[in-house]
Amino acid sequence: MALSASVVAGLQHLLGPAGVVLTREGRLTYESDMLTLYKGMPDAVVLPTSTEEVQAVVRICREARVPVVPRGSGTGLIGGATAPQGGVMVSMTRMTRILELDLANRCATVQPGLINLWLTNAVRDRGWFFAPDPSSQMVSSIGGNVATNAGGPHCLKYGITTNHVLGLEMVIGTGEVVSVGGKAADRPGYDLTGTMVGNEGTFGLVTAITVRLLHLPEAVKTALASFASLVEASEAVSAIIAAGIIPAALEMLDDAMIGAVNAAVGKVYPDGAGAVLLIELDGPRAEVEAQAERVAAICRERQALMVTVARDETERALLWKGRKEAAGAVGRITAAYLLQDAVVPRSKLPQIMREMVAISKRHRLLFANVFHAGDGNLHPLICYDDRKPGELERAQQANEELLHACIALGGSVSGEHGIGMDKAKNLPLQYAEADLNFMFRLRRVFDPDGLMNPAKLLPSHPACGEGFRPARPTLPAGTWV
Amino acid sequence: MVVTTPALGGALRAIVGTEHLHEGGAPVDGAAPRWTAAPATIEQAAALVALAHDERLAVVPRGSGAALELGHPPTRVDLVLDTRRLDAVLEYNPDDLTVSVQAGCTAGALAARLAGRRQILPLDPPGWAARSLGGIAATQASGPLRQRYGTMRDLLLGVRFAQADGVLTWGGAKVVKSVSGYDVPKLMVGALGTLGVLLELTLRLHPAPDHEATWLASFRTPAHAQDCVAALLDSTVQTNRLEVLDGRVLAACSLPVSAAALAISIATVEPAVRAQEGLVKAIVQRAPGAVQTMGASFWKTYDRALAGFDGVTLRIGTVPARLVETLGAVQAVLPGAAVAGAAGLGALRALVTHADVSVLLPPLERLRATVGEVGGGVTVERAPRALRERLDPWGPVPAAALAVMRAIKTEFDPRGVLNPGRFVGRL
Ligand SMILES: Cc1cc2nc3c(=O)[nH]c(=O)nc-3n(C[C@H](O)[C@H](O)[C@H](O)COP(=O)(O)OP(=O)(O)OC[C@H]3O[C@@H](n4cnc5c(N)ncnc54)[C@H](O)[C@@H]3O)c2cc1C
Repeated sequence: MALSASVVAGLQHLLGPAGVVLTREGRLTYESDMLTLYKGMPDAVVLPTSTEEVQAVVRICREARVPVVPRGSGTGLIGGATAPQGGVMVSMTRMTRILELDLANRCATVQPGLINLWLTNAVRDRGWFFAPDPSSQMVSSIGGNVATNAGGPHCLKYGITTNHVLGLEMVIGTGEVVSVGGKAADRPGYDLTGTMVGNEGTFGLVTAITVRLLHLPEAVKTALASFASLVEASEAVSAIIAAGIIPAALEMLDDAMIGAVNAAVGKVYPDGAGAVLLIELDGPRAEVEAQAERVAAICRERQALMVTVARDETERALLWKGRKEAAGAVGRITAAYLLQDAVVPRSKLPQIMREMVAISKRHRLLFANVFHAGDGNLHPLICYDDRKPGELERAQQANEELLHACIALGGSVSGEHGIGMDKAKNLPLQYAEADLNFMFRLRRVFDPDGLMNPAKLLPSHPACGEGFRPARPTLPAGTWV
Repeated sequence: MVVTTPALGGALRAIVGTEHLHEGGAPVDGAAPRWTAAPATIEQAAALVALAHDERLAVVPRGSGAALELGHPPTRVDLVLDTRRLDAVLEYNPDDLTVSVQAGCTAGALAARLAGRRQILPLDPPGWAARSLGGIAATQASGPLRQRYGTMRDLLLGVRFAQADGVLTWGGAKVVKSVSGYDVPKLMVGALGTLGVLLELTLRLHPAPDHEATWLASFRTPAHAQDCVAALLDSTVQTNRLEVLDGRVLAACSLPVSAAALAISIATVEPAVRAQEGLVKAIVQRAPGAVQTMGASFWKTYDRALAGFDGVTLRIGTVPARLVETLGAVQAVLPGAAVAGAAGLGALRALVTHADVSVLLPPLERLRATVGEVGGGVTVERAPRALRERLDPWGPVPAAALAVMRAIKTEFDPRGVLNPGRFVGRL
């Protein structure tokens, strides 16, 4: 669907020629997020600099019934910031200001395009940090984190993005600017802030975010434990949680990932291990010391091959280096992969790992694992060769089987990446029709015209019907009047 | 179609059984219900709501009855849906630190169940033990532990509810991390049951800390207390609870009275509690203030004192850096009031005894204006009906946000079945 000349003129008038990308080459970079299986080029990309401009863009698009697709840094893994129906993509890359730092009240207000890590960089020397730390934090935007309700390694202890968002400003699908929540505690009314986080752009565009900042902990201790197999490492994870210890982070890498990482960045993890656990504890020094001992003891009880504790910041950085470079190192094992983000109850980790091994064997595919084990959030990379006919289909089949296994164990289809185009079809595994219907109606409140990031997050509209209602009790005969 | 009253009573009885359907029943906030029904299953609860929907009855859900005075006085109360028989712990997964309960289960009953595995659900609004978890969720009630653990919104992972037309609906997940679909649990927390009758909750649990120590820091002025809060927040001390108490609350706890005091607790492994004690004391003394070590029973005394206050309760939402202004504003307009609350978060309560309606109205407006400067507000959490008839218990909500709230209510409860007229904007 091409844009009408009047829409183009309206956008150009609003944002100037530099604020509107119309050329094919210019738009090509915007055709997908990091999940390149889904491609859809927008008809135009706009680069607003203020809430007013975003609102004006939405109004122009609404009038012409043109889809609006928000985009942060495009690091999403779900086919989210892509325009399958064309329309106008709104890139937030020129809205990157920190609007207010209020350390006395432990919060900051930022524009959505601000890169996650930049916020922490701005306050770290004064002893503060922004807790949500997706592994993409060096490049992903806070607006994107809010839209996907991003998690990250340290969310095990600190909670995911929503737990740190105090207020939002949003241009919703009706074209209105709505400010919800804020610095002060306990606003009356529905928790619209909480409801809006994680909407993936389907309610509209986030234009400002007030987030909570936390004080840096007194001490941090990082340990590495290696195990013969994924299953034993998973048993150790379950045992640590069951012992009442919530580490700041509890990350796992399997042998395929260890090999790739060691090849890419030098030998940071022991060769020959079936899996390693990266365990980070933070908080008051004495607490960290005591818990580190308990954790090391639990790992040994669970047959750890080796447990090492980083003695200083350099050693600690080295242990994390492998984890942080994992995404880049994958290229050494495979040209293409699918990434599964499903969740299982954490006590079910050993079981799902056994199941994963079986699925991988059944489909003769390599699974490489690097994931947030502490919350039961899996991230297997299902490796395939896109030049071999049928391999992608096999990988997709294996992916679906694993997802079903996670749900059968009481899990969730996504732990942190979200739904986008990729998993909308999977939601019915987790939700009944009535549940989806509720979500569909909620979306419609914010976006009555269906123009905000269409074709994302929900499967096509389930029937709105009476079918789910309990049967009406029979009234005594003859009592109708 | 319209049904006669006796026939409707019969239909309701057919759902829950004769013993559990009463004509009339205990009044809700001064309004006598036509019926009170206590379902034994969530299916019965859903059937009650479906019938009420078809017959255009107003349904008022109730749990323990601790917070029935929150909101606008009800104009219509046809059917009280009493959740107290829905009190089962459905699924406790200690190794996952999650639990699923029915909404009528009390926080105290759950705590007893969790104690065996040394786990806690850290929600402690005044009188928490007797309160139903569904009620705590619907009213977003909180207490001192929110300093460390957040509130119900941070702990509710999944929720099952009956929509206004009786459709049983689930939102969220049973695992600690999930971003699949909209965060429906967040929408339900604090919604006062106006979008659905909450029936089952899946909650995140925490390990019980090995050891907790509490100190009372007393100050000559509220400004010193605020300096102390600021210094604690800007330190590596990991406070478990951080409450400010004014002189009247101190007196109610039978403690020595000062201009302002902070109750500070640290909870973790014992050596770490001891290690932080020195830091806490140094920060208090620098403010300057005097420190006194409190026994383990302090928090029970405090809870009892707050829950036992008889009169008007105001919930004040402000920011931590405005403690002095807020305490000052309360004293200026409501000289008899007692104030306490989560100092590190700006979530306070003012307790006003012997409130006279005519005396309370103007001060409340002035207090709202002061707190409103930082975007905060004052909610009347409890007050005689006569008072709430004359003022807006919720206070102003920005127009654009209220319009969205209204649209949500209209979408999900167009007939006004669920707690009609009681929520913000009389939704
Ligand atoms: C190497 C790598 C590691 C990753 N690690 C993690 C991880 O640990 N945890 C995790 O959760 N994710 C992770 N991700 C996924 C991704 O980084 C996150 O989902 C991130 O939050 C996306 O931010 P973004 O700015 O790139 O958003 P985009 O990809 O641009 O957009 C994501 C979605 O949000 C919408 N959106 C973006 N901005 C706005 C806005 N202002 N208003 C409304 N909607 C908006 C888009 O339409 C889209 O649907 C990783 C990705 C990569 C490539």
